[in-house]
Amino acid sequence: MTEKQQQQAERASMLGVIERLAGELALAEEPARFIAALEGEDEAPPRA
Amino acid sequence: MPEESLTAVAESIRAGKLSPVEAVERCLERVRKWDGRIRAFITLDEEGALRSARALETEAAAGRWRGPLHGVPVGFKDLCQLEGLPTSCGTRMPEYFTSAQGCTATRRLLDAGAVSLGKLNMTELAMGAFGDNAHHGDADNPWRAGHVTGGSSSGSGAGVAAGFFAGAVGSDTGGSIRLPAACCGVVGLKPTYGRVSRSGAMVLSWSMDHLGPLAWTTRDVALMLQVMAGRDAADATASRRLVPDYLATLDQGIKDVRVGLPENYFFQGVQEEMADGVRQAARQLEALGARVVEMRLPDPQHMTDVAMLIARAESSTLHARLLREQPEALQPTVRARLELGVDISAYDYLQALRLRATLTRAFIRDVFEEVDVLLAPVIPEPAPSWASLKTATVEEFNARSGRFSRLTRPFNGYGLPALSVPCGFTMAGLPMAFQAVGRPFDEGLLLKLGHAYQEAAGWHLRRPSL
Repeated sequence: MTEKQQQQAERASMLGVIERLAGELALAEEPARFIAALEGEDEAPPRA
Repeated sequence: MPEESLTAVAESIRAGKLSPVEAVERCLERVRKWDGRIRAFITLDEEGALRSARALETEAAAGRWRGPLHGVPVGFKDLCQLEGLPTSCGTRMPEYFTSAQGCTATRRLLDAGAVSLGKLNMTELAMGAFGDNAHHGDADNPWRAGHVTGGSSSGSGAGVAAGFFAGAVGSDTGGSIRLPAACCGVVGLKPTYGRVSRSGAMVLSWSMDHLGPLAWTTRDVALMLQVMAGRDAADATASRRLVPDYLATLDQGIKDVRVGLPENYFFQGVQEEMADGVRQAARQLEALGARVVEMRLPDPQHMTDVAMLIARAESSTLHARLLREQPEALQPTVRARLELGVDISAYDYLQALRLRATLTRAFIRDVFEEVDVLLAPVIPEPAPSWASLKTATVEEFNARSGRFSRLTRPFNGYGLPALSVPCGFTMAGLPMAFQAVGRPFDEGLLLKLGHAYQEAAGWHLRRPSL
């Protein structure tokens, strides 16, 4: 496999992982909760 | 003087044993002698530095002290906007970045009395783990000629190690403070996301960028952080939390501090010599009273993927105009990396941002219920030789760069504070390092641990033979 093919495979794998994990996210999860997690102000959002 | 720590220089000036002008002149002498090889500077501001030093000397003679860094020579990565000097961001365009406001973190150091020697070399647009730069020259490792400095804050790490200045500011989007700190045998801190304002610094990825200090000792870094940190009306992401007194707790020791050694991810693909260096450091911490346990982490690879995707999408968006209108102005490795982010979908980007929140919350909960600090290698191999990299294709080079930063990148995603501390040398004489990672905003504990280790191990007393 060439480096370019390997790069494409890594990208596909990365997107696959994100797609799979995102399927488990709570409906109320949103980007701003990252800051709240750092500031200790956030609990996990309820599962949908 | 140039080989002394920042703290020692500040104390000598305060005690009247060294004047600000002497301090600057000694550094400049060293820069003139060695920067032809090291290439730490993009813009050396001799005249401005001497003018500032003379003003500070006059003030000191009159008993007026600006702050804890009065007269101390420092340098700034060339993505920090600084009045009167161009900001190339490592590109071939001297004024690639301009900002209505100067860099807050930089301004705070100068207000505390620091003297700017100028703007420092970096990988173009802060994209790359080794310190290569086709426009300003590849920075060279002070410990061993012909080896990389680590990047992207290459001039910041190399310049401190070469004794060109006592401290430097770098930025870290995937490891760019910790990698040069580790390769150059100095201390570097990526603070918690939001601890230090990024206002007035070029953005590579607004979700992943951090500014932080590099210097010889943990105490130096604590002093710089004390000055740089805190809320800033010019940066909405800067935390409003009060900044603790880091120096007041630095000497308290680490008895009963729980230190976790990861069983997964962080020791995989790491050269044995580098891994042994970190395990040896863990034993030293145990001897100092810490309780070291091995532990399994929530898989950091997930956050590496998430952080990589977010950084690629944001950097391509931010620098789209340059990529579209002057692609030939970019060095091929950087252009290739920017192109990777162009066709990331909004769907994938937003899912990654949502995942980041979930993964961070779970990591903080699962890890820091068990331990207070994580200990891991910073780099998987010693600073490689330039010769081993220069024959690589663009794809090979970028793949190797990605592997070189795989141990640092997860903590940009998690936003957690991470302190890189030198922990010895390889058989070939190249520096090794560990990173100590803590709870959000718990820089104080990391600094305490780093300080206790340095005082016991003494690696910070060695200097490269320039």
